[in-house]
Amino acid sequence: MSGKPAPAWLAELQAHFGAALRTPLDRSTGTLRATPEQYDAEALAEIVDSARAPAADRLAVYNRQYWFRMFGVLQTAYPLTVRLLGHWRFNDFAARFLRAHPPRDWDLDRAPDGFETFLVDALADEPSRDALFDESARDALPEAAQLDAAWRAILRAPATSSFAPSADGAARLLDASLEPSPATAIFVERWPLMELKRTLASIAGEAPVPLPSRSTESRAWLLVREPAGIRQHALEPRECQLLQLLQVHTVRDALGALEAQCAETERAALPAQTQHWLAQSVARGCWSGLHFERAP
Amino acid sequence: MTALPRDALGLGLRLPHYEYLVEHTPALGYLEVISENFLGIALPPQQRLDWVRARYPVVLHGVGLNLLGHAPLDERYLDALCRLADRVDAPFVTDHLCWTGAHGVSHHDLLPTPYVPELIELAAERAQYVQRRLGRPFGIENLSSYVELRRSTMSEWDFYAAVVRESGCWSLLDVNNVYVSSQNHGFDPREYLRSVDFSRVLQVHLAGHTQEPDGTLVDTHDHAVASAVWSLYADAWRLGGPFPTMLEWDARIPPMPEVLAELDKAREARA
Repeated sequence: MSGKPAPAWLAELQAHFGAALRTPLDRSTGTLRATPEQYDAEALAEIVDSARAPAADRLAVYNRQYWFRMFGVLQTAYPLTVRLLGHWRFNDFAARFLRAHPPRDWDLDRAPDGFETFLVDALADEPSRDALFDESARDALPEAAQLDAAWRAILRAPATSSFAPSADGAARLLDASLEPSPATAIFVERWPLMELKRTLASIAGEAPVPLPSRSTESRAWLLVREPAGIRQHALEPRECQLLQLLQVHTVRDALGALEAQCAETERAALPAQTQHWLAQSVARGCWSGLHFERAP
Repeated sequence: MTALPRDALGLGLRLPHYEYLVEHTPALGYLEVISENFLGIALPPQQRLDWVRARYPVVLHGVGLNLLGHAPLDERYLDALCRLADRVDAPFVTDHLCWTGAHGVSHHDLLPTPYVPELIELAAERAQYVQRRLGRPFGIENLSSYVELRRSTMSEWDFYAAVVRESGCWSLLDVNNVYVSSQNHGFDPREYLRSVDFSRVLQVHLAGHTQEPDGTLVDTHDHAVASAVWSLYADAWRLGGPFPTMLEWDARIPPMPEVLAELDKAREARA
């Protein structure tokens, strides 16, 4: 719209007010406390002291609301990570993330975007104060955050139509690339996090949940959005490799790359297995379409 | 687009309500949804909205328009809002007389502004533009606030009434907000009500609030409606009823029968 611009003083007032309400909450007393003494002086100068409370105390209402609302949004977006860290520690990382990446969109659900990436760097810098930040935790927490992020991405994906090969499409499949459906994800875990995620609802409280022992072998999962929720399909290791290769190569190149990774003893059974896995991935809705690199 | 009956009773739809709605489909005059929850492309909210819209009239209530932000209105946001309003054929769309973000940061809160004539013109021009873009009635909601700004030169109710009048838009009168602000700032809530042009009231909101240890009331929507707010609602009804009335219960939501019983109290207050 081309209207009269807002007065310059409004931009200044909102800058000061915004800075005050984003003032970090103090953690030093073991509880999250507003620190009005640190508020932007220009913001305080804009506010009238009331009979009931000084201006700073009233501004603190907005300050607390901002942080608790944002903590709630991040906790909802990263439920497994919250439980492994515990709410208190998680909020510390969340606050640091929000200071570095304040919400910029009207869509509140976008505020947590990128937290899983931030957490990797933040954990690397975290001093080893206790067992929570031992080597295992530094590996497992990013993995948990990645699982939360994948879960969240699937739920936020738009409506997709599953790829159903036509006779013509099937004939040309080898030269095509399959388009991954945004309503699915592949997740490879080294800790039994999927199992832990299933049990979270029955574990009350805000204290950290103990990290389970690392699995002897990695496990791969295909996550698929279905009308009743997100279904988890266990993948065989080679099946997972195939699906990952199919996400970046043509079908022909993916099959070739998989074969190259297999030992001689595996190769005899591979054509039947790959056909089965490919058909199964189509049936599960992994793909939303086909495209060709070159004109077929 | 069908207008709501003037005495309609509605509920603010929140995620925990869906299961009960699907199972019982209670008789409700309409449902109000938070616009921003459905502006995105994610499928599950769209499916829920389709289910609801097939059974109830749906009105849209926004929290992200940023009507009084220093920056111009976000056209991308308005595009999405118009599409959503068309999709659900909303009888009306509402948002707040406030700012929510500035200098590229969205605070996701409804923030107060000085009550000065200069901003009446700004808010009215923008609201008029929004209503024109929507092609349907646009209602402006009064705010609950915790601070008074030194720059204000007029009362909140005069400012609010002037914006509604000069924009040609409508009022979403939140009675709980009137009460919360009146207690926080020491004015007579009934004087506020007397300034409202009830012929321009699209809808009235009811909600619960919380009292902080220092006595400040906070608009938390996590309790039943306070008896003082019911009393104010009864006064509003006598002054300007009938008007559609909607209950917001956003946190610590009790079982749905309790929410519906709370909404039903509006009938008694109207008597």
